[in-house]
Amino acid sequence: MTQPADVSGNAPKGAFRNVSKDAPCDDALLVLFANGDAQAARELTARLGPRTYAVALRVLGNRAEAEDVAQEAMMRLWRVAPKWEQGRAKVSTWLYRVTLNLCLDIKRRQRAVDLDTVSEPENGEPSVADRLQDITRMDALQGALMKLPDRQRQAVVLRHIEELSNPEIAGIMDISVEAVESLTARGKRALTAALSGRRAELGYDDD
Amino acid sequence: MTDDMDLDQMFATARAERDHLPDALSARMVADATRVQEDRATTEPVVRPGIWAQLRMSLGGWTGMGGLATACAAGVWIGLAPPDFLPDPVGLVYQQELDVDLLFGVDETGILTEDG
Repeated sequence: MTQPADVSGNAPKGAFRNVSKDAPCDDALLVLFANGDAQAARELTARLGPRTYAVALRVLGNRAEAEDVAQEAMMRLWRVAPKWEQGRAKVSTWLYRVTLNLCLDIKRRQRAVDLDTVSEPENGEPSVADRLQDITRMDALQGALMKLPDRQRQAVVLRHIEELSNPEIAGIMDISVEAVESLTARGKRALTAALSGRRAELGYDDD
Repeated sequence: MTDDMDLDQMFATARAERDHLPDALSARMVADATRVQEDRATTEPVVRPGIWAQLRMSLGGWTGMGGLATACAAGVWIGLAPPDFLPDPVGLVYQQELDVDLLFGVDETGILTEDG
């Protein structure tokens, strides 16, 4: 797995898409966008869109909802661009925070409608058994993730899939670093327990 | 039992998928961006800062203006009441006035003698 380049000098591993060292940083692209540069919009979408969608997908477990959330999060970025204060916050951090808040909003609305549907992972796609083993594992992981409490799931996704540092996660979730460590540790333990007994099914029994 | 190593492998597989953005979603995001840019171009007038705001910014904002005012006040104060190691400009002015020779070097004793 390649790690993203740090063009702004402050992006740890786990930040958004790889960009060359000569490319403008996200802040600069946002200024260009606010000035009407259409190419900046395409570049920001290519750079930030995939991870916004990926986080929403892992947290929500539903592709349609994740697409809506990712699109809305990017829309908020477009709207905030003219007022963006350079250096105040990383664009990626801001976007993670907006994305997670939108995910929480959806979860709250779902709870208000039907408490029983929240913890069920999406599994509407056909012929899971015929798909590749990686897909099976991802479905299993996603199912286990969806059984975690919201905050645990967010912390685990940001830490272990987005590879953000604990301080950055603390900033995004507005909690202490110790709380992040606690959430991720409990989340991992819960995932391990949830996936126990599925080693053979997931192809982990051959060692 | 699924152990930590299995879980780490699953996380790694999930990371491999995180850079995927469906084409249709990407197109919608770019379309949104274009619409926002177009709306802004047609509805938002260009707001230029006023003369005082420009002056303030050129002087370094409120901080710079505060420093400038302080420096001016200090200059006036030093001029009126200089510390001991500096010459007193007010005193120097009066000293120069006292040294002005209104008789252009003519010895007044001689003048009085001639008249007498």
